[in-house]
Parts: sequence; C-alpha cells; structure tokens
Amino acid sequence: MSSHGLSASEIARKVRAREFSVTEIVIDSLERIGSLDGTLNAMITIERDRALERAAKLDSALASGEGPGPMTGVPVIVKDNMCTRGIPTTCASRILSDWKPPYNAAVVEDLEKAGAVILGKSNMDEFAMGSSTEHSAYGPCRNPWDTTRVPGGSSGGSAAAVAAGYVPIALGSDTGGSIRQPASLCGIYGLKPTYGLISRYGLIAFASSLDQIGPFARTVEDLALSLNVLARPDRKDSTCSSSERPDYLDFLKVGSLSGKKVGIVREFRDYDLHEDISRGVEKVLRILQNAGAVIEEVSLPVTMTSGLGAYYIIAPAEASSNLARYDGVRYGLSEEAEDLLSLYLKTRKAGFGTEVKRRILTGTYVLSSGYYDAYYLTAQKVRQIITREFTEAFSRVHTLIMPTSPSPAFRIGELVDDPIHMYMMDVFTLPVNLAGLPGLSVNGGYTSEGLPVGVQMVGPRWGEGEILSMAGVLERELGPARIAPGGLADEN
Amino acid sequence: MKTEFFPVIGLEIHVQLNTLSKLFCPCSTAYIGTVPNTNICPVCLGLPGTLPVLNGKVVEYSVITALALNCRINRATRFHRKNYFYPDLPKAYQISQYDLPVGEDGYIYIRGEGGDMKRIGIIRLHLEEDAGKLVHSAADGRLAGASASYVDYNRAGVPLAEIVSAPDLSSPSEAKEYVSLLRQLVRYLGVSDGDMEKGSMRVDANISVKCSDGRWGDRSEIKNMNSLRALERALSFEIKRQTAILEEGGTVLQETRHWNDSEGRTISSRSKEEAHDYRYFPEPDLPPLFLPEGFVEEMEQTLPEMPWVRKSRFIRDYSLSETDVAVITESPDLADLFERCVREGASSERSANWIRTEVLRVVNERKTSVGDLPLSSHVLAQLLSMIDSGKLSNTAAKEVFDCIIETGAGVEEALKVCNLQSGGISGSQLVEIIRDILEKNSSVVETIRSGEDGNGKKSKFLQGLVMRETRGQADPEEVRMLLQELIES
Repeated sequence: MSSHGLSASEIARKVRAREFSVTEIVIDSLERIGSLDGTLNAMITIERDRALERAAKLDSALASGEGPGPMTGVPVIVKDNMCTRGIPTTCASRILSDWKPPYNAAVVEDLEKAGAVILGKSNMDEFAMGSSTEHSAYGPCRNPWDTTRVPGGSSGGSAAAVAAGYVPIALGSDTGGSIRQPASLCGIYGLKPTYGLISRYGLIAFASSLDQIGPFARTVEDLALSLNVLARPDRKDSTCSSSERPDYLDFLKVGSLSGKKVGIVREFRDYDLHEDISRGVEKVLRILQNAGAVIEEVSLPVTMTSGLGAYYIIAPAEASSNLARYDGVRYGLSEEAEDLLSLYLKTRKAGFGTEVKRRILTGTYVLSSGYYDAYYLTAQKVRQIITREFTEAFSRVHTLIMPTSPSPAFRIGELVDDPIHMYMMDVFTLPVNLAGLPGLSVNGGYTSEGLPVGVQMVGPRWGEGEILSMAGVLERELGPARIAPGGLADEN
Repeated sequence: MKTEFFPVIGLEIHVQLNTLSKLFCPCSTAYIGTVPNTNICPVCLGLPGTLPVLNGKVVEYSVITALALNCRINRATRFHRKNYFYPDLPKAYQISQYDLPVGEDGYIYIRGEGGDMKRIGIIRLHLEEDAGKLVHSAADGRLAGASASYVDYNRAGVPLAEIVSAPDLSSPSEAKEYVSLLRQLVRYLGVSDGDMEKGSMRVDANISVKCSDGRWGDRSEIKNMNSLRALERALSFEIKRQTAILEEGGTVLQETRHWNDSEGRTISSRSKEEAHDYRYFPEPDLPPLFLPEGFVEEMEQTLPEMPWVRKSRFIRDYSLSETDVAVITESPDLADLFERCVREGASSERSANWIRTEVLRVVNERKTSVGDLPLSSHVLAQLLSMIDSGKLSNTAAKEVFDCIIETGAGVEEALKVCNLQSGGISGSQLVEIIRDILEKNSSVVETIRSGEDGNGKKSKFLQGLVMRETRGQADPEEVRMLLQELIES
C-alpha cells in the first residue's frame, strides 16, 4: 500500500494510528520525486539522506511513546528562498549558488517542531521575481498538467510539487501573486495570508513590505493545518503581528453560508480574460450562492487601473535595496577582481539574471533623488488609496471573488522576452499584496485542453478564517484538488 | 574699509550609545579589544533573510539625550534606509532616521568667544547603526600600499546618536567648547563614554567663511578629527584656506575634506559632483515607532542634574573657585566623589583640592577612571577629616592615600602599613620627641634664646625637624606652641 496522494491531515492521522511509519511515507514521496522531477525540475535541492535520517528519528520517537506533533510524518518542500541551516538556499540565483545559511527560517523551525519532514528546496524565479519559474539559474520548472507549459511563478516549484503529488504541503512566498498564480496554473490551493500573519524571519527578501509566506495544498483542511503550525507571533520579525491566532481548523465546520455576502469585482470584466476563466469564476459564485451567500457587485476603480503601476515601482524599489548586499564580499558568488568597484560590478553582473537586473535598475531609478517624489512617493499614495478601496469594499461584503490569473498556463518561452505581458499576469493578485490582505486561489475547473483554471478569494485583514470557511464549502461541492500526471502520461 | 571674514561652523557628532547590546540584534556592543568577528550574528552580518529588531534601551538613551539638549521629541518616529555600497556595511544600506528623527529643534548654551553664554541650536538628534571596521594590511594600517583589507563586523550595528548642530559656532575654540560640553553631557547622562580617541564620539564639521562684502563661500565637510586638538587645528587650517581663496577672489568648492593630523592640513576627498545619492526610503522591515503615552515624561524624570546646573550649584553652595569647580564637575564620577566626601564630613575646600590634585594624579598615572579606583568616598572623607582635625599632615596623608590606592586598604590598615598612628602624636609623647630634638640641636636653641632669630627661620627649621621625626602625625600648631614653651623654659 502506498501513501502517495494522501493529504497531510490523513498522513498525520495514519502515522499516529501506526498505519504507516514516517520512513515509509518519506520513501514514497522520494520515489515520486525521483520518477517525476527529471521532467518537471520542480526541485533545486533534494535532501534524501537528511530526510530519511529524520524520518528514522521520528519513528523511534513515536516508538518510544513520544506524543506526535500536528504534522508528524508529513513530507514537505519549501521554496528555495527560505533559509535552511546547512542546506543550500539559492533563491534560484547564481549569486547564492554555494550559500548554506547558518540558521533556519522561522517557518522551517515551525514545520520541524510540528513533526514535518523537509524533503528539499523547490525551484522558483530568481529572487522570486517572475510569474513562470523560467527565470531560474537551475532551468525552468514545468507544469505537471502539461510539461510544455510553465507552472506559474515565482513559487512554481512548490506548486508543481504539490500538484504532482510529491508532497501534500509545500511552502511558497507571495509578493505580487507568487503563491496564488502558480496554484491557479497547477490546479491546487495556494494561500497568501495577511501581511504579518506568518514570520518572515529567514525568508530572503524580495520586497519586504509585500512578501508573505504561505502554503500550497490539495485540501482546505491542509491549508488550515498549515496555518495552525505557521501562524504565530515572532519577536524576530517586527512586522509580524503579536496577536494570538485562532485555531484555523475551527473555520471548516461551517456548512451554510447564509448571511454571508460575497463581492464580485466589477472591473475584472474590463480585462481580456480567457473564457474558461470567466466560466470558472461564475461556477464558484453559483456554488457559494447555492450555499446561501448573497452576491453583490463591488467596484475597485483605482485598484484595478493603478495597482500594477504602483506595484512595479514599490516592489523593485525595495528589491534594489534588499539585493544590494550581494556584493561578493561576505558570502555567495565572488568574482576575481582588481579593485573594489570591479569586484562589485563583476560579481553582480555574473551573479544576477536578466529579470533581477531589470528590477534592480528600475528600483534604483525610482528612488533616485529628483525622481523619488514622482515615482516612489506617488506609488505609496496609490497604495494607500488601494488599501482604502478594499477597506470600503469589506465594509459591505465578507469576501471578494476575482480571477487569480488572466490566463491559464502559457507555454515555456512564450512570454519570457515580453516582460510587460508577463507582469500583466499579476494584475489581479498584486493589489492584494499592496493592501496586505489574505488571498486564496482555488481551482475552478479546467480548460478544454485540460489546464486548470484558478479563482481568487480575497478577505479582509486577518480574514483567513472567513476564506477557509467558504473554500471548505466549495470543496464539498468540487472535491479536493486532483493530482496531476506530472509528465508520466506524456511518456505512455 | 578692510574686508573681514567670519567662519560659520556647524558640527555633526556621532555619539556611540553604550548599551550592552546592538541596535537591532542581541550581540554585544564590545568591539574594542575583542577578537575580530566574534560579536556578530546573522542579523548584524546582514545575512539574507534576517530582520532588524529595535533595542528599546537605545530608544530610551536617545530620548534622554534629546531631552537634555532641549529637543522636541517626536512621539511618532520611523527609520529609513540609507543605501550605499561599502565592504564595512553588511546590508549595503544603513538603517538610519530621515524625516522623523527622535528629537528636533533643541539648543544648548556654551561659553562663547567673548565670555558670554551663547545659544547653539541643535537641529536634530537621530538614531542609526554603526558600520564595521576595515583593517588594511599595510604597516601603518592605511589603505595606501595595503595588499589586502580585512573587515571586522564587531562594530556593525552598534547604536549611534547623530547630533547635528545649527551653524551657530563662529570659531575653532567655540567648536571645541561645544564638543567638550556635549562630551560632558553624555557622560552625565550615562549614555556614552564620549571618548573621541576611541571613536565613541566622532565629530564632522561643516565650515564655510562669510565675507563682510557679502560673499559667502560654499561649505566643506571636514572628517577624521580624532581629538579636540585635531578639531581645533583642522578648523583653523580650513578657515585660513577658505579665507585665502576668498581674499584672492576665488570660489570655495563644496566638498568633503579629510584632516591629516601629521601633515596638519585638510585634503580634498570627494567633490559635490561625486556625492552619493543615498536613495533614502522608509525601512519596510521596521514598523513606525510610536512612543507610548507617558514615555517621554518618564524619561524626563530620569534626567540627572545637568553639568552646568551642578557647576553653578557647587560655586554657590561650596564657595569654590570657578576653576576648581570646572575640574571637579568635568565628569559626574568626580563630582559625585566630591559631594559624598563633603557629606561624610570632609571640608569642601580640602575635598576639592585633593580631588583636583591627588585623585586626578592617580587617575592619569594609572590611565583609569575614577570609578575604577579602589577608593570609596567614605575612605577618602575619613582621610581628609584627619588632615582637617590636625591628626595627620598633608604630606603624611598623601603617603596613606598612595597606600590605599596601591592596596585597596581602609584608612586604619593603611596607617599601619605606613607605620603611622591613627590618633596622631601629641602631649607627653610629642614633648619627648621635641626634647630629644632640642638636645641634639642645642646651638640652634642657643641662637633662638639669644634673640637672634628675628625672621623665625631657626624656629621653622626646628619645627620641620619635629614634623619629620613625627612623620607628619603631629598637629603643626601644637608643635609650634610646645617648641616655644620648651625653648623658653
């Protein structure tokens, strides 16, 4: 009997009931990775020996009667921008290719404390900049539903890993859509929590005021389980809320949505949407309505017209500063050079990819004296207006429904030289980061070509529970996310 | 009419706050004399993924300092990133403050050039983190000629308060006066050692020269002045240099200049065109800081007596000279020692005198601080009271004092070590000694008796002999009277 395809909650239950040993679970996962990752390239580092060693330790702890944690035996994968002590953490960049952090990210500590087994680090767009996981120094990751297509990005490796059944839970980070968009393109759940819900300590920064870690899963229960493990106050992250968090599993007991108001954002209709995506949104709305929710149209005019512009000023501005530390002096790539300036120039030229350089240049420009007011300051004002628009909307409705991405998975190479078009992939997701809100991508069906279509649910600040309740109702109708063939079907 | 030139000087002073841990991480702030790169952690090394956490003690220290400088405290403040590349700056940006510093619009009074009190404006006091230290392999530790450079990050993240004065200083000596006062102030507040040589207080000067014909030269920023003397010399040099340019009808360039102490001149290091664009923007890793209700008031309560207040109180209450008071109140440790001695019964005049001379002598000899001497105010007061009451001569007391400093002993013990009697030598014991001396010096006694000691020199000589014999333990007045009595009898 194989454990393949089980949810994290099921694995934890079965390990607790001694139906499986942790070692068996981990071996099953490693085998799945071994058979698919040559094709998918979802992983940058696979820590086989370390994982088996840890599994054995957990097994002997269980045997000696030690109480299991909420995730004991659950194999997980974390995006390669989260620090893992002694394990390479590359951000998919040449500049960090040999870097092994001397410390663990807060989320890594939390996962291990809960009993999870980290199998490795997933592929991503370099420094989380991109929407396709093509901008990786380790080569593009492929979509497990169609291996000629991208899995989305920047957390494409984690999304592909969960969709292809490597593991039930993987962590991603979301700065402008980097969890939700790949979840959408891979047909699974991807949750970006409220800014400040989960500690960023140990997450290698792209844009500090927008970055947030979140889980990918194939069931809503696994999302709630993940939040229970990861969401907590952390003194090491001053932007992380110090409030106590609820038990997120409690929100899944909701059966009816009567009394709930769901907002549909009027402006998304102005966009050139793939018709299957519009259909997915309609389907989700219908299910929610049948469960008792009232649908109401809301308008986010500034958000939908100016969000993208504000985002592509603020995010690169912060990135240009966050990425300045990679100078070849202390760690990471360091090119031979005659003097200090050429050390900087050579190292950064060789170490960063095109997209990262593009954003560093943009960010440096918008912060320069003489341009700051026109760009950065204006963008911050727009950001405030966007936050107000959302606050206004949430005074009327409990959640908002929007598409996650304007299109399903596109082909590898299709947009890689068209940055503006690529940036457009985040148009529905990035306003949520600007306002610091929680957003969840759920699967809303498939296109005629069999590509998953995502629908986004957005909640007010700290409204994860509300979103999970609604997602739970949807899941009862639609079933959990399906496991993708991961390229095996193509071979047959 | 002769053209006149007036220097216009403003100072930017970085004061290292002496908290135990760094500004944004729990690492120790000890970086002098520590093994390089031992007081470091992922946060102050700026490793990828790390985040700053503000040290609350630093906020307290900065607010206390800003209050002492009569600044308006910003209840809502925030941090900015100052971006530039340099190997000693681990994140390639310095977390600093920009538009909302801790304190603004303060002032402090110094004794101005003409002797009157002069108000010097304080534009702002803001917090920022220190950088690491570059160590070059050249023999003299300089960059020139070095084959390699090393970085020590022990200092990276040490908290600094930058205090920016208004351009209200008009001479090198006023600048020196202002820096001395600030140094004294931070020591009184207990927020910094204020040591320029060690770098815990670093002074940069902005200086320009204004001409009576209306011309006003651009300012230059002078760096690398590591002592008060260097500050005075550098400013004097710069005034001469800029004045000479203006006298010839030239233009003073806006630039950064480096003070070279051994050559005694400033050297241009960076012009305005080469100036950095620091691309300041709000630090997204730290939320804005809101000082809680009542915090500023609470800090106000903890303010000690200001040095200038203490000074005038000492002059008034202890009727001491201004020069004495200036020395005694220079450091709070000295002033405290003085006041405790007086409270424990020593006379104020003798306490002041001894602290100025003996205490400071051993402090300088031992290159230590008052607080580190093995000397309590109780012991010093006891010793000084013995002089006051005539039980010990000043000379003998010095011997005892040295013994106390040497061994850490109490007064009684030190007296024993020095072979001295605690009660002094008087009465019959003293008479014995005097008789003995008179016998041995009968010719001198004869001279006195014959009335040929008009100027009293011979009597003084005998008195000296008695004091020497009693090793200062006799009351000079008693000796004089007994001598007179015994010679005449």
